[in-house]
Amino acid sequence: MHTLEPELRALHADGMIDDATAARALARDRGKVFSLHLELRVSMYAGVLLLMAGVGMILARNLDRIGPLVILLAIALAAVACAVPAIRARLADRPRTVVADYLLLLAALLASAGLAYAERQFAMLGPLWSWHLLLLAVLHAAIAYAFSSPLVLAVSLTSLAGWFGVGGAVSDLMPFSYSTPALGSRALACAAVIAAWRHRDRRARPGTTFSEVFDHFAANLAFWGALAWCLEWPWLAAGLPLLAVLAFLSVRHALTTGREAFLVYGVVYATIGICSVIAPRLYGMTMTFGFVLVVVCVAATTLWQLRRRLREARP
Amino acid sequence: MTGRWRISPDEERWLAVAAELDSAALRADLTERAGGWRSTGPLARIALFILGLVAAALVLGISGFRSEITLLVAGLVAALAAEWLVVTKRLFASGVEEGLCVAGYLLVAAWITTLIANPSGSGAGLISSLVLIAAAGAAGLRLLNPLVTTCAVIAFVYWVGSTAAADALEQAIGGGMTSFIVGCSLALLSLVLGAREYRRPAHDRMLDWLVVTLPVAAYAQSTSWRVYAELDYAGASASRLVTVAMLLALGTAMLIIGLRRRRHAPLLGFMGCVACLAIELRGVTALATETWLIICGLVALVAGVVLDRYLREPRNGLTSAALSSREGPLDLLQTVGAAVLAQRTASELPQSDAPVSGGGGKFGGGGASGSY
Repeated sequence: MHTLEPELRALHADGMIDDATAARALARDRGKVFSLHLELRVSMYAGVLLLMAGVGMILARNLDRIGPLVILLAIALAAVACAVPAIRARLADRPRTVVADYLLLLAALLASAGLAYAERQFAMLGPLWSWHLLLLAVLHAAIAYAFSSPLVLAVSLTSLAGWFGVGGAVSDLMPFSYSTPALGSRALACAAVIAAWRHRDRRARPGTTFSEVFDHFAANLAFWGALAWCLEWPWLAAGLPLLAVLAFLSVRHALTTGREAFLVYGVVYATIGICSVIAPRLYGMTMTFGFVLVVVCVAATTLWQLRRRLREARP
Repeated sequence: MTGRWRISPDEERWLAVAAELDSAALRADLTERAGGWRSTGPLARIALFILGLVAAALVLGISGFRSEITLLVAGLVAALAAEWLVVTKRLFASGVEEGLCVAGYLLVAAWITTLIANPSGSGAGLISSLVLIAAAGAAGLRLLNPLVTTCAVIAFVYWVGSTAAADALEQAIGGGMTSFIVGCSLALLSLVLGAREYRRPAHDRMLDWLVVTLPVAAYAQSTSWRVYAELDYAGASASRLVTVAMLLALGTAMLIIGLRRRRHAPLLGFMGCVACLAIELRGVTALATETWLIICGLVALVAGVVLDRYLREPRNGLTSAALSSREGPLDLLQTVGAAVLAQRTASELPQSDAPVSGGGGKFGGGGASGSY
């Protein structure tokens, strides 16, 4: 164990921190106030993950034995039951707890599973089956707005990205393996839709808590799209400048809002882009490795310097 | 006291205070008190750590792969670059110097293993592994990095389980049990040592990481061994009993100590023990996997609901509410987690050859991957 009490007291005695700040910091340092919020989040996330894994297996293995209508009814009932704490909080006009948040997420995921299962069983959309992803995106967006839930919004945006054909799988994070300009175009189109949605959301609801979720999705999708373009000529001619613009915007957004993640996005994606464009066009391993090393060193220095600026700019 | 080659405990404590208070008004003063040592945020640290590792690998690539000596050259260049960053730029826990240092030490250790490795000797592989583990441990201790020291300790636990002595012992106590017992013992030792008061916050963090990760890592090792040996393994039930008993004892100790000391690490370690227990108990029940998953999920959710309701009003200083509204990497992790769940939560859609206008629906969004 360690305690920072002497340092906190010294700061207080020197008049560097006021009584309230000192009292708060000392109470936390001594453990007089201790939050189990983190443990609660872990427990709820694990619960949702396990439950959805179990439900998924039931859907996959016991289709014939139970019957589609019973399964759909059970899923719908479970989803409604999970949404009860969030509905009660909304009716009572009080803020939702982390538990209600995660139960609402579970309800949304159960609704997803039910809808996907119904589509599979009854082929309601026929050859347009992939449109059920758009339907899910709309449904989740409605739930997210009804309950002001950023978690459910993340689910909605994931469905939207899926409808555009941009997966969030690990292989998508490394577009070098199979990337095509078409994938890049779809990712950029999806990012543009999300950016427009964000803009509209901010205008309609100035106090929105969704902007950060929109920003992360839009930024990552746009960077993936630009990177995918960077891998093939002649798309490269548009991809590289686009990557530069996106990196600039990302860094500027980070410095304006104080969000470190966007600094990392800007610098790291730009580094990957530059290396993936230029390194394959160099001759010899020494030349290639040397070039990438220089880019990596510049990226590390830039990230470090920008992080300092961000810290200084923060109130 | 000012650290020349390494941050001093006093300076490290002031950096910890700066991270705790994070106020612009205090920044200049705290930087001065921290002796000019500079750190960075968690996300930038991760990115810089990876960039450091990549840079060291590139130095090795530039040196060429013609002979073993290139390992030494690349390792020394990376380690010296890390030292230069620490000493002249006064970087602490900034990521880049940590990545370079770890990679540098490992490359030098890899070169040493080429000197001692004797293909005909049976113990050469074990000694080589130990040299690499020692190098990782030394790098972690040099830079006070809890991730690296934890990886070194976990690797050491696995190494112990691969020795001839462990093989002989496991004839009697069951396969994979040596690593598990050593891992749990080290976790318990870390828990006990955590009661002491340390000047350096980093020492505390190193012990915390061990408490959280060791039981799970040791259990994973013993479980993977049992999966391979399931068919011809006679003492499975006895070793299962020992495993359950140890997890129960360790988990209980972690819960009690975590609540007494008001520390997150023992409580997270307790949760890890509970997860391992759930996996272990799955083997002795006849329930289908999906039923077991749903039961465990429900237990986790109900525990969360009960805890939240019980601690909504603070009791004896314990609360379920967040103490800080400051956004951190956990919020980003939560968004990523929700997106990951959304992709996994789906049933398999029929494969369609029809042209898809939206973009293909390659994965399940909220709905359709089919990979459970």
